[in-house]
Parts: sequence; C-alpha cells; structure tokens
Amino acid sequence: MKRLLTTTLIAQAALTVAMQAAVQTAPAAGLDAIVKPFFEEHCNKCHNEKKHKGDLRTDILKTDFDSPKTMAHWEEIMNRINSGDMPPDDEKRPKPEDVARVAEWIVGQLHEAEVAMQNSGRERVAFRKLTREEYANTVRDLLGVNFDVTAPTGLPEDPDWHGFERIGSVLSLSPAHVEKYLAAADTVLDEALSIRPEPQREVIAWKAFDLRWKGFQKEYEARGIADQVRIEIVPNNYTTDSWDLTVKTTGMYLLRLKLSGLRPEGGRAPRLKVYMSSIDKTLLEQDIDAPENAPITVEALVHLTAGKYPIRIINSVPGPNPEGRRSRHSGTPNAFTNTRSRVPWQLKLTDDDFKPIQPTLIIDEITWDGPIVDSWPTAAHQRVFFGGESATKDPAYAREILTRFAEQAWRRPARPAEVDRLLKPVEQAQKLGDSFEGAVKNGLMAVLCSKSFLYLEEGESRKTAPKLNDYELASRLSYFLWSSAPDARLLDLARTGKLHEPETLRAATRRLLADPKAAAFAQGFPRQWLQLRKVGMFPPDKALYPDYDENLEQSMVAETVGFFGDVLKRNGRLGEFLNSDWTLVNERLATHYGITGIRGDAMQRVALPPEQHRGGLLTQAAILSLTSDGTRHRPVHRGVWVLESIIGRPPPPPPANVPALDTPAAGVKKTTVREKLEQHRADPNCTACHNKIDPLGVAFDNYDAIGRWRTVESVRDGTGADPALDPSGTLADGRKFADARELKQLLVADLDKFAAAFTDKVATYALRRGVTFGDREELKRIAEQSKASDYRLAALIEALVTSPLFQKR
Amino acid sequence: MSNIQSQRWLLNRRHFLRGLGAVMALPLLDAMIPLRARAAVANKPRRSVFVYIPNGVNGMTWQCPTAGRDYQLSAALQPLAKHREEFTVFSGLHHPNGLGQAHVCADTWLTAAKIDAQSGRKYENTVSVDQVMAEVVGQQTRIPSLELSISSGTGRPFNANTLAFTRDGVPLPAEDNPKQIFNRLFGEETGGIASQRARLTKRRSVLDAVHDDAQSLRLELGKDDRTKLDEYLHSVRDVEQRAERLDAWLDVPKPALDKKVAVPFQRDVPKAQAGEYWRTMFDLMVLALRTDMTRVITYMNGSEGNGLAIPEIGITQARHNLSHHNGDPVVLERLAKSDTFIMEQFAHFLDELRATKDGDEPMLDRTMVLFGSGMSYGHSHANSNLPILLAGGRGLGLKHGQHIDYNRPHLKEDYTLSYDEWRALCGKPKDDKARLSNVMLTMLQKMEVNSEKFVDSLGPVSEVV
Repeated sequence: MKRLLTTTLIAQAALTVAMQAAVQTAPAAGLDAIVKPFFEEHCNKCHNEKKHKGDLRTDILKTDFDSPKTMAHWEEIMNRINSGDMPPDDEKRPKPEDVARVAEWIVGQLHEAEVAMQNSGRERVAFRKLTREEYANTVRDLLGVNFDVTAPTGLPEDPDWHGFERIGSVLSLSPAHVEKYLAAADTVLDEALSIRPEPQREVIAWKAFDLRWKGFQKEYEARGIADQVRIEIVPNNYTTDSWDLTVKTTGMYLLRLKLSGLRPEGGRAPRLKVYMSSIDKTLLEQDIDAPENAPITVEALVHLTAGKYPIRIINSVPGPNPEGRRSRHSGTPNAFTNTRSRVPWQLKLTDDDFKPIQPTLIIDEITWDGPIVDSWPTAAHQRVFFGGESATKDPAYAREILTRFAEQAWRRPARPAEVDRLLKPVEQAQKLGDSFEGAVKNGLMAVLCSKSFLYLEEGESRKTAPKLNDYELASRLSYFLWSSAPDARLLDLARTGKLHEPETLRAATRRLLADPKAAAFAQGFPRQWLQLRKVGMFPPDKALYPDYDENLEQSMVAETVGFFGDVLKRNGRLGEFLNSDWTLVNERLATHYGITGIRGDAMQRVALPPEQHRGGLLTQAAILSLTSDGTRHRPVHRGVWVLESIIGRPPPPPPANVPALDTPAAGVKKTTVREKLEQHRADPNCTACHNKIDPLGVAFDNYDAIGRWRTVESVRDGTGADPALDPSGTLADGRKFADARELKQLLVADLDKFAAAFTDKVATYALRRGVTFGDREELKRIAEQSKASDYRLAALIEALVTSPLFQKR
Repeated sequence: MSNIQSQRWLLNRRHFLRGLGAVMALPLLDAMIPLRARAAVANKPRRSVFVYIPNGVNGMTWQCPTAGRDYQLSAALQPLAKHREEFTVFSGLHHPNGLGQAHVCADTWLTAAKIDAQSGRKYENTVSVDQVMAEVVGQQTRIPSLELSISSGTGRPFNANTLAFTRDGVPLPAEDNPKQIFNRLFGEETGGIASQRARLTKRRSVLDAVHDDAQSLRLELGKDDRTKLDEYLHSVRDVEQRAERLDAWLDVPKPALDKKVAVPFQRDVPKAQAGEYWRTMFDLMVLALRTDMTRVITYMNGSEGNGLAIPEIGITQARHNLSHHNGDPVVLERLAKSDTFIMEQFAHFLDELRATKDGDEPMLDRTMVLFGSGMSYGHSHANSNLPILLAGGRGLGLKHGQHIDYNRPHLKEDYTLSYDEWRALCGKPKDDKARLSNVMLTMLQKMEVNSEKFVDSLGPVSEVV
C-alpha cells in the first residue's frame, strides 16, 4: 500500500474511483479530506506529540497499511470511535455521519491491505492448497477412484473467506491434515491399483423376510402368500428400520431398490432416504410416487468403504409417525388376505376404498451389487504400470513409473532430483520385503503427499516471475472451471508453450466449459459467491415454521444453483440474476411458493407471472433464508448481504455491544421488525451506516424467514392485528422504491455496477484471492468487454481468462 | 478391566526412556521437552480438561449475587451444589483481545489471540493453552491431547468446532462420534506388532521423502514469504514425530477393557437426544483419563452455530436462537432452563471424576476442569464478564469453594440481577486486570509447565493457588 501513495498511482487510483463509483475511497484523498480534519477536530488535542495519551498519536499516523502493526492501530481507532468510546464523554461529540465516513475509509484501507496480502505475486513461490473438493476431483481424474472427502475418514472441512472456500492464504494445513492425506493416499491407491486380490462382485439381496417377519416365513409359505409380503415404511421413522450392511471390499456398488410409494390424494409423495447413520452419509434420496400394484426400481451408484454399517431406510416426508398405534411385533400373524381379516390395531395404509391414507413406502427388495470394477487389472493400474506384465521390474522401470505419474499428479514435469527422492520410499519398502508393485505404491504415496500435489505451486525460487508459466496457467484454468487437474490435452498445450496465446486460451476455455466436469464451476461458484453454505446453518424454529423440512432446504439450494447453471448453459445475460420471468422449481418448492401443477422431484423451468412476486436471485427462498436467523427475517442481514454479494461493497462492522431491540410492554400495539429498527435507529450513531444497509433489506420484508410471500408480519407480542408490512425505501443516492420489485428494477438500471461487482466475484473465485486496487483497471476492461456482448456470462468468463489479469501471479 | 486396576498398560519408565531415545534421535526436536517430561514422569499424573458452552448464558440466573467463601450459589449453578467445595466461580473475567469481536469467542477461548472478525482480515490464531500443556505432559501418554466437539473437523474461522490450535495457530480437528473415538482409543491395532512396525517404517520413509522435497525448495528461498511452505514442513515433521511415538508405544499393550465398558460407546447416539449424547461424551472423557490415554482434553459441548436444542425438556430452539433472545422473557427463561440442563450434565461429569479413584485420591483432585463460554451476553455478542468455573485439582494445590468476583468492588450497590445490569456488565470489563489468561496461567503452572505468562496474563490467580 505504501507504493500506492506515490503521486502517479494515487492519481490513477483516484481516477479509477471517480469513474467506477462502486469502489472504496482513494487512500490519500480520503485521508486528507475526511480523516485528517476529523482527527484535528476531535483527537489531536490529547493524542499529540506532547501528550500522546494511550501511546497513540493521531497527528502523525502512519499509512503503510501493509504493516500489521499499522493495521492494528487503525483498526483500534476505528473500533474506538465507532463504539463512541472515543472521544471521551467530556469532549464534544463528533457528528455520526463524520464517524461513519472515517470508519468507512479505514475499513476500505484495511480491506485493500488484506487482499493485497493474499496476492501471490508477493511471494517468489506461492502455495495454494487444494480444497478437499478439489482433492477428491483430482484423485478421481488421476486414478478413477471416488474418494469421499466428507466422510469422517475423509479430509477436514475447509474454511471460507466471505463465502469463498478456495482463498489460498486462508486455507491452512495442520498435522491432522497430513495424517489424513497419508491415509487418503493409502486408501485411494489401494483401490485404484490391482495389487490386492481381484475383488469378487457379489449381490447382497435384502428381501421382505430378511428385513422383517423372519419368524413367519414358513407359515406364509405354507399359506402360499410368502411372495406377497412387503415392508411398509411409515413417515418420520428416523430411528427405526435400520439394518446392518457388511461391506467386504471397498469400491463402487450399485444400490437398487424395488418399491412402491403411496401418495395420499392431495398430499405429498413419500420420500425415500437411504442413510448410513454411523458416518452421516446419504446414499440415495428421492420422492417415490408409484402405486401399490406398480412398484418401480430406483438405483444409485455409490462408493462404499469396507466395514460394517447400520443402514437406515427412512421415509423422510414430514408427518406424524403412526408407529405407536400398532402392534408390529405381537405374535399375531400380520398377513391378511382380505379386508375382513384385518385386526383393529393393525396399521391401515389405505381407507376402505383402497386410497392411501398417508405417504407410505412399500419395499419389496434392496440389493447391493459390487464392487464394480471396470477391468482387472484396473485401467489406473495399467496406466501406472505402463510396461505391463512383461516389463523388467528393476529400478529403472520404477523411476520411469514415478516420473510419469508425478507429471500427471503435479501438473508439470518432474525433475530428476525430485524423482530421486521419490525412489527412497520404494527402496525402503523393498527392504521390508514388499513386492515390486507394493514398493512402487509407497513411492506413489509420496507423490500424493508432496507439496506439489497438495498445493497449486506458482512461481520460481530463483527469480521473481510476474506471470504464470504455461503449466501454472493450465492448472489455474482447470481448477477454475473443473475444480480439478488439467487433462492430457491441456497439459499438452502447456508443453508446447502455446497455452497463453489468446486464441488457444479461448478455445481451451470453451472446451473446458462444454465438458461435464464444468459442473464443478456451475455449482461451486454460485454456492460460494452467494454464501449458500449458510442455508440451514441456523435451522428454522420448528414451532414457528412447521412446514420447513430437509427436502425444502435441498430444493431451495437446488433452485439457486440450478438457476445459475441454466444461465451459464444458455450463455444468458447477467441481468437475469437480478430479475427474471422464470425460475426452476420442483414439486416441494412449488408448493412452498404456491405454484400449482408441478409434480416430482426434478427441478423444472416455470414461467413467473407478476403475482408470484418472484424472479431473479434476490427473491429466491435460499437467499431469503440464509439472511434470516431461524426465528425471524433479518432486514439488516439482508441489506448487508445485498451490499456484499450484489453491490460488492460490504459495510463497516457494527460497533460492539449494540443494545437489544426492546420487547414491547404488554398491552402495546404490535409492531413490525422495521418499526422496531427505526426506533433503534433514532440513535444517530447508527443512522449513518444503517441508512445505506437497511433499505436494501427492508425491501424484502414481504418474504418471511423461509422465503414465503406475505403482506402482514406475524408478531407474537402486543395487541391488535398483525401489522401490515411496508417494504418501501430510499437508496443512499435518493432514488425511491415501493417494494422489492421496484428495487430490483433500480438494480437492473444499474446493471454496469452489478456487472463490476460480479466480475470481482468471478475473479476472486478464479484467482483464489480477493481483488485489489491494482486489479481495478483490468477488471474494468473485462466488464467492458463483456458489456460489448450484452453481458453474457460465458463472454465474461472468456474475457477474464484471456485478460492479462488471469495470467498475473 | 483387570489391567486398569494394576495400571500395567501405563508406559513404564524403561519403555518411556526407550521411547525418548527414539524421539531424541530426531534432529529438529527441542531437546528440552524430553528433559522436562522426564522430570515429570516420576510424579503422579496432572490433567486438564476444558469444557466450552456456546453463546453465553442467561446472566440473570447465572450470576452468583454474593462473593467470597460463603457466597450464594445462583439458580443456574444449583446442580453443582454437592460439589461446592470442588470448584471456584469467577465473575468479571474477559479476554482483552476478544472485546468488541463478535465471532471469535470460541476460536480464541483458549488462545486469547487478537483476531479481527469483522473486517475479515487474514485469520491468524495462536497456540491454545491445552496444546502448550500437551507439549509437556503429552510425552507421557499414548495420545498427547484429545480434541472433542459437537461437530467433527475444525469448523471455519470465526465459527470454530475446535478449541485446540497448534503453535502455528492452525486448528486441530475435533471428533464428535463417541463410537469412533472409543475405537480409536481402545480398538485393536490391525495386524501384529511386526506388521504395524513395518507400516510405520514405510510411512516414515514417505514422510522423509516429502519433507526433503519441500526442504530443498525452502533452502532455495530466502527467509521471507514461506509461511505456507513452513506450515507444510512443520506439519510433516510433526506427523513424523507422531509416527516415532507410535512406534515407541507399539510394545505397550492398550488397556484391555471389559466388554461391558465398551457397550455404551458402541451405540449410535443421535445428537437429537442432547442429554444422552452429552453424558456419553463426558463418560468417554472420564474413561480416556482413567486409562491415562491422555491427560489433556478439550471439549466443545456446543459450538456457536451448533448448540443443541434439548427436546427432552421441551426446548426445540437451538442455543444460538435462544441467545438472540432480544430481551424476550419467554426466550430468556428457556435459555436459563437450557443453562441448568447443561450444568446437570456437567455435574454428572464431576460426579464421575470424583467417584473414580486415581491411586488413593479421587481423580477429580488431580484433574483441573475449566468450564465456560467465550461469550457472556449472546444477544449482541458481548464478551466481558464471561461465565467461567474452575473445578478440580485440589490435589494439585488448588483452593476452591469460593466465588471470585472482579465486578463487585467496582459496583455501587449489590447485584440487582436485572436485565440492564447484566447487559451493562457484559458490555465492558469492570476490572481490566480480570483476565481469563490469568486462570489459564494458573492451570499451566499447576500442570508443571514452566511458564510465567500466557498471552496477556498478569499472573496466577492468587486466591486459588
């Protein structure tokens, strides 16, 4: 930051700011215009050369924000004046709007300094750890193994920075990670290579008598009705209906269920969830809508690790569990062949017209078929041990194997000295009596646990490189769009040294985007940009929101992620994110939104007439929920989210220890959250910032904490009717809006601003760091370039990838 | 169970010294640690446990209204009445670095670090007090320290699922599944000793190779800008040392537990049954301590984002929701009920520690337990006047049965236990010398960790030593 204070750069920065209007105040201008006069008036009297109270002088403050000490000082100052702690009570109070301007300036500088530190160009060699998702994708592409990183035996969860889970400086590594990487490499290689005995594919079948009614099999056979026995699964059976599965061999299995799902008229279909409770893993979850006499088969390809697991077959549709009203385990035969033989305490699945009473699953059979291997030896084994059985198993062959494997795994050629080191574990294992293949595996372990695999390594040790080389560029591009390693074609382009040429790079970007692996970007980016990880983080209160269930939560996220994916696939315009006349819903979400005529689990595109009050991301249930707290909607959280995610201008932090909103005394008229907030804001210390934040949140007051439309707010305390909501407001620039719809129109009118903010977000995701002043010019050019093509999403991505910024270290 | 009584599974002196020989052969290890550890091995075990609850408490029912030895136990602390002589209550403690920071309270509860949560600056934590202890006493047990939590993993910055942070400030992932923890501690090693040893040798050759690889690059780089590479190098080195350790422990049998002891830990205990889950975790901690698998445990009974609802007493809201009570008396009453329920579970833990004999003393006497939260008034994230208790350790010389109140000398009148009073006490420390780090320093010294200061501590708490 010190460099920024030289005159030319200040001029440039100031110009950028003036032109863009959506970024922070330029450092020097702000310091002279805002901060210095404020200090002169309110601080310097005590914090000067002579007095320097509290060891602080505000008359000569340093502005080298790259020094942590200086940052800490500024931050302390911000916190003190922000909380009203300083100036002390016996001094003149500064105007709240002045305090806010100073605080905002400081936050801007701290933010800039922070992201400048994330810039990899600062280090000669930068190390960006792969996220655990990237680790999983990379070993999948390298060795054909689906390693479950989220399992307890997987990898630790990665931290995020403003939603982004791939910021190099934030991702850290501990001894626990190394332990897990070792175990993961061992597991993955064991499964990938054909060193172990050839696994025998087996089918484990659970039929009705295996699941229940064991003691009745003979009797029913004698009665000739054994083939009609089925297993009913009632709603909400979370703790019952669990069976043990023993997996002998780790690998891929085909899980198949034959079953019916009874949907009561006008009600919801039962929902099947096959759940491994001991490791918190769902294998299959979907609605089952199939009449009793027409069962269907559903299946899923799942990865199972050897061991014994309780498997729960859950009917996860919400509703009363009728279990308590029956006598399943009495000695009374449960089978009946006509309605008259029913005993009164037996559970009724249908009424007397054979129409279902409640959503019930009826299972015929569950089978586990596997492990399924593509060939033996596996394809991965044949790639690694490329010489086949006829190869001479000597050190030279081992060296060649490791050289080839390291090149793929490290996404660059391995140097001979590096391969020398890899051979040592091979020798050690041979000394201990391992076979050639087993010993080579120990060397492959080292490849997978080395820095060059676990980190994206950029730069050279001997000289400072301002730009990525072609191999580094290949990785940056593939981890951006695939969250995985470059494939052979991309590495070949890097080898020829042509990848960085704009046309080559553009063609490569198109190819990567068209590949199914680009789903990683289509899902990963919206999740991180919009902070969807927060959906369900504070689960809605069951008493206040009885309709909320797991299925709804999943459907909400599926809408928002699917919406982004749809725009990406069609190469749609950025404006659709702000407002649209369509969205994606499934039956569950449609019910939530009050849209009729949608059946089934799959997300489907629907047109949105105005009376639906939806369109664009901002009025999607996922967004409206993640900015609520599980009890009520939070206008302030929503405003902050809009500022951060849509406008790209996060507000300064609140001062510490804000008093709570008052609870109205008994007998007082009911008030909305907005009205309470306004009383609160009577405090002038709060208004300066909240005038910018609150209108952007209050605009969405018509949507409750789980995103349902409403016109009055349900208020528990107080008397009288629930108060009507007022979503109108005024933006900081004076423009007024009546409701969310009008606010969205104002945002659409400011499309350039949104495009600039959105470009920042995509760049943050791609570059794995926050963007800073030094990047502004480039970012602006990228946004302008995509404006020329109507702000189409793919055009923006291409403009980013082919910009000099993308190749900057 | 027989060998629990005879303590045959403990690392005997000869084993221990042999283990040390192996450890000392490592070039980078601080040679001081084994020496200190050797001195300590002759003494009886000293243990520390840290139990965290999220989101603060209801201060109106938590606050003990009078101070000193004949203090009056508050409503929330009633479940601990029978242990009155076994613990000390504190009022007015805080972490100076935590003031005004909304979301770092769990992350820094045991580190006392300065982390700026709000402007989202690069997150840098420092070593936690339990890890400082583990560096010394951890040499004597199979597992240096045990990290337990309501959620597995590390969580995220500003929303940690773990209390433990390494020397590099990196969070140590916690475990949340009683069955898995039990099996890790007491399960059989696969294969025989010879095959285990071969496995460890191979593993070490892998670690050596990747360490040399990173080290060679590090030598080429200057002194600057290598934090991420150093993080990697330290971690690899650390795991290498662990492999050495495991090797040294291979010849020592794990404690053979009676099958009946294992049963409660082989069930799936859903977190929806909060009380059952918490008791199971506490029981597991007692078992780990009495078998001397470890002497340092951190346990998050809940995290800021995952404080369990307690359906068995009709509380369906998660603790986070309760803590944003907005002053609502109904919600505050539920928060108080939830506090009391948690204290009942904690009382059960103290019961068990007291009932378990460690030689001729109750284990509680040689086990210090720090209990509390990094937040006091959850609604606006205030974190002065933290709810903190220190229990156990009388055999290590701690004096208990008192309420040390750093607020009262600065109050004009007796506590009124009103809402506004509670809020005000939590907003700003009454006594800026009342630092939680002082309690941590006291514990460090009682663990015989050679230490005069922990972060911003001013000295041990004279009233308890």
